[in-house]
Amino acid sequence: MTSLIPLIRNECLKIIKKKRFYIILLILLVLVPMFTYAQMRIAERSRDKFNSDWRLEVQQQITDNQNSLGSDRIPEEWKSYRKIFVQQLQYYLDHDVNPNEPSGVTFTREFLDNSVSLFIPLLIMAVASDLVSGERTTGTIKMLLTRPVKRWKVLFSKMAALLMFVSLIVLSTFLISYLVSGLAFGYKGFNVPVFTGFQLNGDTVDMSSVHAVPQWKYLLMQGGLIWFVSVVVALLAFMVSVLVRSTAASIVVMMAALIAGTILTNMASAWTTAKYLFMVNLGLTGYLSGSPAPIEGMTLSFSMGVLAVWGILSVIISFAVFTKRDILN
Amino acid sequence: MNDSKWTWRAVSLISIAATIILLVGFVYAVKDVLYPKGAATLTILPEQTAAPVSAAGETIRIVALGDSLAKGTGDNEGSGYVKRTLDGLTAKGSKTSLIGNMGINGLTTAGLQSKLQQEGVKYALRQSNVILVSIGGNDLFRGADLLGSGSEGQQIAVPDTEGQKAGSMEEGTGVSTGAGIAEGNDKISPDSLLAALPEAAKRLNTILERISEINPEAQIYYLGLYNPFGDVPELLVPGNQAVTAWNNAAMDIINKHSNMTLVPTFDLFNRHLDKYLSSDHFHPNGNGYQRISERVIQALQ
Repeated sequence: MTSLIPLIRNECLKIIKKKRFYIILLILLVLVPMFTYAQMRIAERSRDKFNSDWRLEVQQQITDNQNSLGSDRIPEEWKSYRKIFVQQLQYYLDHDVNPNEPSGVTFTREFLDNSVSLFIPLLIMAVASDLVSGERTTGTIKMLLTRPVKRWKVLFSKMAALLMFVSLIVLSTFLISYLVSGLAFGYKGFNVPVFTGFQLNGDTVDMSSVHAVPQWKYLLMQGGLIWFVSVVVALLAFMVSVLVRSTAASIVVMMAALIAGTILTNMASAWTTAKYLFMVNLGLTGYLSGSPAPIEGMTLSFSMGVLAVWGILSVIISFAVFTKRDILN
Repeated sequence: MNDSKWTWRAVSLISIAATIILLVGFVYAVKDVLYPKGAATLTILPEQTAAPVSAAGETIRIVALGDSLAKGTGDNEGSGYVKRTLDGLTAKGSKTSLIGNMGINGLTTAGLQSKLQQEGVKYALRQSNVILVSIGGNDLFRGADLLGSGSEGQQIAVPDTEGQKAGSMEEGTGVSTGAGIAEGNDKISPDSLLAALPEAAKRLNTILERISEINPEAQIYYLGLYNPFGDVPELLVPGNQAVTAWNNAAMDIINKHSNMTLVPTFDLFNRHLDKYLSSDHFHPNGNGYQRISERVIQALQ
């Protein structure tokens, strides 16, 4: 009975030695400053236009959205989205809370809201997609499997190492975007209230259960949801890397699925069965901020259920295939 | 090897800690979304927003309220009379700033009344010292609103009289590209123009009083109506009568308050519709807005 810990340790070291994790950090360190700069320019511009008075800016935003509601050229789904948006902005304004208080924390919150369905899954894939197929490509899988260790243990240790790195990636995304954007916007803002609990019914918003949450707690909740999404994406990518022989192929498969997801969420509200696809359900943080789900009938528990089923299935398939399959070539 | 021992320790510890934190967050999030507790009224009460800034400096701080005229519908440059007024004032050397333009296409007096309840609007009004209001056109020409901005389709079936607008429009103006003139707008009849007047005038009164209540120190400039249907022979006289009746009603209200001014636009457009109306035959075009803004500047200075 070989203990699992040394195996996991071994896998972790392999991931680190392959420098994948450093690449992820590097990507973040390059991209986050870009987003920060863009955000800074926007903030500067609106400061010029609205004398740095956010209330006027929000009011103008409401007016502009209301005006666009009148236009017949705008599709109905967008209209209901904007109606919801207007009502939420109105709520912030009525309670005298700035929805976009410029700070490093707010930037982090918004950046993560926007990256949950594509950017973070891509980072996860960078580690997950070559865990098994990488060993195949280099041929080291034979060395690995000739050791007196059960196959499921090998796979399990890989999976455990992967899950450890998922947490690390989510954490470092938070940290890097906070630290970098803090340089531009300041590091304060943890106690700024954020409203959550908007219940959407069609295009009206039920405000009865809206409550204010300090921003640090919001970030924590957001982190939890992103972590859940990331774990499911990691498990799926892991399964693909078990099934497919080359790393390149496994990355392409996952990429295609994810990108299809973003396209579908943008255009598919008519095709309702699409809601059973995992990639449409990645935007869990939207339920927190109260943005409408891409397809009618989706709720947090529904999305989590769908994701969980996909995740569990991919674990089962990974183990079944990996323990049974002949390793040739 | 010692090196890898330490990396392993660091990585495992940090990742376990991170996982625990994220799991806690996850539990919180799920609980919060699935069982949101309707917060007892928020800790942050809508604080009384900043007191009206008294005439510090001579900056003219403008808020525009109202319908498509404030929005600038029909102006190809998208400026509308509000932006043009600002530009004109700046060109004359005044310091100006636009606090906000809250014009909404198709807004009626009733709509503006409910807008004045909103915190954000009130806040903006308090920050300003010049308030430009244009409202009433949609109450009066409600049917015509359908052909203009296409918003708020409150199509009220008015008894159909002989006013066959679409046909006579062609010869009347000569410019008509036929654009935007829906066949379905033959609903405007002289009677219906006048029918809405008393109620709407009453609402205008409450609106203007409400605004000066919100910001007693600001000057309010109300834009009088013009008759956009002067090029339709059947509607020229009744339209003029209705518009004049409205403008008189507005004048009555405004005369009772020292901080209000009526800026007439009737004469600007009368008999010059082809020059100053945009292709929808309802809203002014760029030149029309320019003329309105000149009037506003004259009233301001």
